[in-house]
Amino acid sequence: MDVILVAIEHVDGAPRRGSLELLSAARALAGAEPVTAAVVADAGVADAVAPFADRVLLLEGDGLRAPNHERRTAALAAAAREAGATLVLMAAGRSGQAVAPRLAVRLGGSLLEDVAGLRRDGGAWLGERLAYLSRAVLTVRSEATIAIATVKAGTYPAPAAAGGRGEVRRVPIASVVGDDLARPGERRAAGRGRVALEEAEVVVCGGRGVGSAEAFEALVVGLADDLGAAVAATRAAVDAGWRPYAEQVGQTGKSVSPRLYLAVGVSGAVQHVSGMNRSGTVVAINKDPEAPLFQLADYAVVGDVHAVVPALRSALAGMD
Amino acid sequence: MDFALSDELLELQQAVRAFARREIAPVAAALDRDPRFPWPTLRRMGEMGLLGVLTPEAYGGLGLGHLAYAVLLEEVAAADASHATIASVTNGLPQAMILRHGTEVQRRRWLPRLASGEWIGAFCLTEAHAGSDAAALRTRAVPVDGGYRLRGSKAWITSGGEAHLYLVLARTDPTTEAGARGITAFVVERDAPGLSFGAPERKLGQHAAITAGAVLDDVFVPSDQRLGAEGQGFVLAMDALDGGRVGIAAQALGIGRAALDAALAHAGERRAFGRPIREFQGVAFRLADVALRLDAARLLTHRAAWALDRAARATKEAAMAKLAASEASVDACDAAIQVLGAYGYSADYPVERYWRDARVTTIYEGTSEIQRVVIARQLHREHGRSVPEPVT
Amino acid sequence: MIIVTYVKHVPDAEARLSTEGGRIAVDGASFALDGMDEYGVEQAVRWKEAGIAREVVAVALGPAAAETALRTALALGADRAVLIETDDDLDPVAQATPLADAVRRAGADVLFVGGKQADWDSAALGPAVAEALGWPLCDWAIELRVEGTTLEAVHDVDDGVEAWSAPLPAVVTTQQGLNEPRYPTLPNIMKAKRKPFEHVALAGVAARTSTLAAALPSRARRGVRLEGDPAAVAADLVRRLRDEAKAL
Repeated sequence: MDVILVAIEHVDGAPRRGSLELLSAARALAGAEPVTAAVVADAGVADAVAPFADRVLLLEGDGLRAPNHERRTAALAAAAREAGATLVLMAAGRSGQAVAPRLAVRLGGSLLEDVAGLRRDGGAWLGERLAYLSRAVLTVRSEATIAIATVKAGTYPAPAAAGGRGEVRRVPIASVVGDDLARPGERRAAGRGRVALEEAEVVVCGGRGVGSAEAFEALVVGLADDLGAAVAATRAAVDAGWRPYAEQVGQTGKSVSPRLYLAVGVSGAVQHVSGMNRSGTVVAINKDPEAPLFQLADYAVVGDVHAVVPALRSALAGMD
Repeated sequence: MDFALSDELLELQQAVRAFARREIAPVAAALDRDPRFPWPTLRRMGEMGLLGVLTPEAYGGLGLGHLAYAVLLEEVAAADASHATIASVTNGLPQAMILRHGTEVQRRRWLPRLASGEWIGAFCLTEAHAGSDAAALRTRAVPVDGGYRLRGSKAWITSGGEAHLYLVLARTDPTTEAGARGITAFVVERDAPGLSFGAPERKLGQHAAITAGAVLDDVFVPSDQRLGAEGQGFVLAMDALDGGRVGIAAQALGIGRAALDAALAHAGERRAFGRPIREFQGVAFRLADVALRLDAARLLTHRAAWALDRAARATKEAAMAKLAASEASVDACDAAIQVLGAYGYSADYPVERYWRDARVTTIYEGTSEIQRVVIARQLHREHGRSVPEPVT
Repeated sequence: MIIVTYVKHVPDAEARLSTEGGRIAVDGASFALDGMDEYGVEQAVRWKEAGIAREVVAVALGPAAAETALRTALALGADRAVLIETDDDLDPVAQATPLADAVRRAGADVLFVGGKQADWDSAALGPAVAEALGWPLCDWAIELRVEGTTLEAVHDVDDGVEAWSAPLPAVVTTQQGLNEPRYPTLPNIMKAKRKPFEHVALAGVAARTSTLAAALPSRARRGVRLEGDPAAVAADLVRRLRDEAKAL
């Protein structure tokens, strides 16, 4: 019998979208088996997810209010053992990335990292994931009795109707041994509080072709604002000092797969493309007719970004 | 016979290729438009070891052979010809000459600074009226108490005015019978009183390889800065030329390779009449011929390098390599412009710069005509016919 | 302080990939030291040059070909290299224990691992080894400082950056922005050949995750090219995004 445990991440008292999506994935995968949600330290969030799970384990204890990775790992390991989980679902993201492997090692399990198409085949969990800078698709299989799977936001749909009233059970977690481990300090938000890049539906990315920090602000940020989109930058734009690392998309930055990706003055080096080639619709605007990104674009706009982007903003304004 | 480069050399080649791509290639176009001597990148090339490839480790160099030198210099040239010219001159002419013919004191004095790139070296042989007929040079070296006074002018000095050290060929014996045997080699440092340089020459290409003439107005050179014996200078210079020619051949190959790569990339992307233009035989055949010539020249260059590492001289081999590589390079650049069409003619694309940079490779370090004279003379010699000894 | 810096031998960005019997095959000439790991090697070497560390050990886990990545690390300034040799394709979780053993054997206080691996596209190794060691992990570090026996850092989190600190020993995963890696100079490449190199056989480690199949999908894109008067092109693009691609 499979028991699926979904780790719920939350921010400012609300569950993250990526975690909610996992509840609907769990429901689809579990069939008749129970779906358990694990919530660290926030009773309000526990209540919010309860309608979508059969059981909610509310993990409470010293230091779990603002947990570091080790404490989160300890809490989720306790929840997994408590629930008898055979599959633990976690959202991929900086936190999931750091905790899921720890959990796999701690529980003697396997890690299915950034998987899609999760399914069972003859007693083992399987899925697909990208490799080689997002150029290859691998089918991977867990060889352990418990699998930890991290899933990117947008892979599964948000939960629709509530599946059933889940009971919330409080589970006390003892202090993590060596509680003097990593102490997160003060947090500084990147950018101006726009949509988180990895969860955005629309992304506007600027590259070296934009020309300057001022032009980036005017063209790329302006267009992103018009579309309610997240702002991204190539390594070239970040190296030039125009944008912060948090906005970088590519091999050494973030991977995104929005519904719509607009690349402004981006030539399309492999290292950048690896971070965005799973996007739904790709628009590339560049004055170089031989820009590599044009090979990957649904719409290749050959022209000067300083003329095309303002025209695009006008056209969008006129649309509504 | 193993045509493959050794694992060690491949590793060095990879490292220099990555270095050249990261550090040299990005500044090439700007330096061509707004020329200045590329001190920042030269410093990094020095740290990298590229300015003392042949000099032994005991004097601060890499102690590698001519094959490694050719392979590594080609990588530099593929990123930018000017950097390769400056490197080739400082490596191959003053440094090699001081190494082979200097006293131990002289070696210790100059080689470490040249090999590390702290100092750049230059070579002063050519004069306004004496290029191919180099032995017709007129700069005088008059013996005085403690040394010599140099009087005359030199032309077309790569790194002229920028380099720290100049290897100057001057005439100690002015009698007409002396000819080449009246020439002596001297090492002159940049701040020597009486040494001045003209404004940089305005050239077709290789703009960053600042080239200027020099005036020697009674420049005093102490005896301990004479290289070799009086009257030996010309032979010393010719001796270094084999290595110098291998260096220039490697440089030409680098430029040609860059041009061929650009042409291949373009021919794969550019579409006309419904297909990429590389599928048209007119284009495909031209590029095949270019690749053939470059590859053949590379084999000749590596063979000359190999020969030089086994014996002190490889005159015919080096002349063949230089001739083949420089002409193949100019051909490759010409083909690249043609294949790129209008884009080939545009200053927004690097191909026209490759052509301008390559065009001098058939002229300096011995024109193509001189290389043919050298080859012909060697052929006759090998066939046992005696030929009057021309001075080059 | 002794630092272990993990290095991986991965295909470079321009490598040609193909599929062969359900596995990915890479053109052999296109491998290099993973760019992400370079930031760790650079940091370790800088700390050694500053007198903070006394030894930098480069460690790799993989086939004999991984020697190349280790030699690059030696050319960048590492003092010695250890190759935990195996031809098995082991996932990061399976690698955690043998790597933790190597780190402990070296007597290290800090382990650097690249934030994400360019072949598996995985960020799991750093956290997995940290767990096997029982050490705290600073992931995606962009600033790093040693204050006595404490590691102070600034690192990336989901929605910004955060200050972080922990007592040594610790694991750090590295990324762009931490430092500017040096390139290996030719003299250092040649000197690296004389540095100690140890081979350790790896046996009895089973993969926790196996790869069943591999494919290189090429997604068909519309490939619509728009050129000409900016206003007309913009209007055309908006219309197509709305009606054709249904992306607006």
